[in-house]
Amino acid sequence: MITTSNLSKKYKTNLVLNIQSLDIPKGQSFGLVGNNGAGKTTFFSLLLDLIQPTSGYIKNNEILVHESEEWKPFTSSFIDESFLIGYLTAEEYFYFIGELRNQNKADVDALLAQFEDFFHGEILNQKKYLRDLSKGNQKKAGIVAALIGNPEVIVLDEPFANLDPTTQIRLKQIIKDLAETKGVTVLISSHDLMHVTDVCERIVVLEKGEIIKDLATNEATLKELEAYFAS
Amino acid sequence: MIKRFLSLEWKQFTRASYFQKGIAIKILLFFAAIYFGGAAIFLGIGMFFILRKAVPEIDPIITMNNFLIYWFLFDLVIRFFMQQLPVMNIKPLMTIPIKRETIIHYLLGKTTLSFFNFIPLFIFLPFSIVLLAEGYPVINVLCWFISIMVLTLTVNFINFLINKNNTIFYIIISVLALFIGLEIYQIFKVSQPIGVAFNTLYNLPYLVIIPMALMYALYKINFNDIKKGFYLDGTISKKADKVNTIDLSWMNRFGSIAVFLKNDVRLILRNARPKQVLMMSFLFLFYGLIFYTQEVYQQMPAFLAFASMFVTGGFLMTFGQLVPSWDSEYYKLLMSQNIPYKKYLESKWYLMVVAVAISFVLSTPYLYFGWKIFGMIAAGALFNIGLNSFITLFGGALNRVPIELNVKAKAFSNTNGFNPTQMLIALPKLGLPMLLFYIPYKLVNFEVGLLVLALSGVLGIVFRNFFLNQIEKLYQKGKYKTIAAFAENK
Repeated sequence: MITTSNLSKKYKTNLVLNIQSLDIPKGQSFGLVGNNGAGKTTFFSLLLDLIQPTSGYIKNNEILVHESEEWKPFTSSFIDESFLIGYLTAEEYFYFIGELRNQNKADVDALLAQFEDFFHGEILNQKKYLRDLSKGNQKKAGIVAALIGNPEVIVLDEPFANLDPTTQIRLKQIIKDLAETKGVTVLISSHDLMHVTDVCERIVVLEKGEIIKDLATNEATLKELEAYFAS
Repeated sequence: MIKRFLSLEWKQFTRASYFQKGIAIKILLFFAAIYFGGAAIFLGIGMFFILRKAVPEIDPIITMNNFLIYWFLFDLVIRFFMQQLPVMNIKPLMTIPIKRETIIHYLLGKTTLSFFNFIPLFIFLPFSIVLLAEGYPVINVLCWFISIMVLTLTVNFINFLINKNNTIFYIIISVLALFIGLEIYQIFKVSQPIGVAFNTLYNLPYLVIIPMALMYALYKINFNDIKKGFYLDGTISKKADKVNTIDLSWMNRFGSIAVFLKNDVRLILRNARPKQVLMMSFLFLFYGLIFYTQEVYQQMPAFLAFASMFVTGGFLMTFGQLVPSWDSEYYKLLMSQNIPYKKYLESKWYLMVVAVAISFVLSTPYLYFGWKIFGMIAAGALFNIGLNSFITLFGGALNRVPIELNVKAKAFSNTNGFNPTQMLIALPKLGLPMLLFYIPYKLVNFEVGLLVLALSGVLGIVFRNFFLNQIEKLYQKGKYKTIAAFAENK
């Protein structure tokens, strides 16, 4: 689904990302881990064509992301709060995203109904603007908005941060479902090693922009990751 | 302690965004400050003579006192919309071992350093000096001047109070509405006793104690109010806005641009900054009064054409020059979604057109100045819709300044319109209507001048798609730059 080739990003002389090759097949749940400055968000930003690569390219479903915009209809993402529109209520925001992705109000309502548990009564009918919600609740709204319109690729940057434990557990289930039963390619990054190993079939470790490890998840993965980050 | 607070203030001042700008902008800002400061000083000096000429039978100081109440009312209204209160800045101090009362004194003291408190200094100090030069008694003038300054600070604290306390806000608003109503319908002229009061204040200098007591009382009320609510969920809190859920589904009839249009309407209604722009653009309606009432300009129709364009173009220019900055807070979202730029731009264009239309309707009272003037306003409106809108959108595309939507712009730190490209773009905006009118006017006659100006607008509407496509290309070209600029800290 996603092909990366010779991808690099330089800021002046500072090389922040350098990936020779990285292929993510359709329906894989893919996890990206690494310390601050490892290049996780840079990679996602390149994938979403928010920054330009210095060299190389990313193909999303055979579409060169920095040349065509055809990848947008089937790709959705939630990177940070700048993906929220602060002065809308959660509902208005969902409908807005829905309209951009050709979903009518009923479609969006049907989708939202599935996430009633996840929202835990704190998102819908709140009579609050998104900017006045807590960080955790903002994140919930952003993540669910990224699921609107049956995307085939979903990119979530640190989805577990700021969420309460109950929501973290529910989110893990949602991500697993997406990849296993619906064939959606899910890309997440996280600082929580336990969560990524729970959710992702494959985990890539980045350090200073380079791929250090590329693991298929099994029982030993968590130990291996912990050992790596401890040293 | 005070020394530390002062050093904090100094850092905040010197590290503010407007000092981080390029040298060209600094120079421009410097000149702007000189210009406005100079204008205020001249007004202050000239005021005495203007008043003496306008109402020769009454002592200028008395006329001045009779009008002072309007000054203070205007001051309060402007402050309410413009003055950003520094409440949140003290959050980091709350957990530090400093006495609560010290922090509150600091907070209240900080508001007195506001730009708004220095405006009267520029006007009333020269005025008082002229009074002294004209031989008015020193003690009276001095105490009067002190009273004015103290009352300015009182207004400062009233504004603080109404911003923080809804009950007081409603009380003051209703009292004001009542007074203004009584005044307009001539039932009881409240301004008269107030005028008398100001005159008494001038005549009996020792009464300066009254404004001082008033200021002290308001300071105390504010102090207690903050002290009572000195918690994150009290006075220190960011006010969570009440949700207004007006139903905008009727807008769906606008088809593919409806999704953006609905958002833009919400953007304007729910954020402090766009509301400010809305108010500013309302003031533009009165721009004509300056020009149409002056004899001098009757001989210079090019300037009248220029003014007429401003009458209906307020919103268009103030709002339009900041497209796409209005969406800077969530620009990454828009760029990663399937967004047709053209629809996005079209929506903003429609908003501007509607604003011009509304301004045009509101400008009908200008008929008082005759059909010629009104014809100019109409032609100006067409120019605005057809050409100015696109020029403004074009300029906006080159302007990559992020905006904090729900934060009021501070006076003089609003340098958004102050970058070199913006200045260059402003030239055709201002010059074009003058040229379009003036050349045919000189060559043929007045009517043809109007016609050409109006037709230029129609031409713009006909070639709308062409213009929108050009601007769209500009957007696409600048995409990465714009994203990076909007992601920077404001």
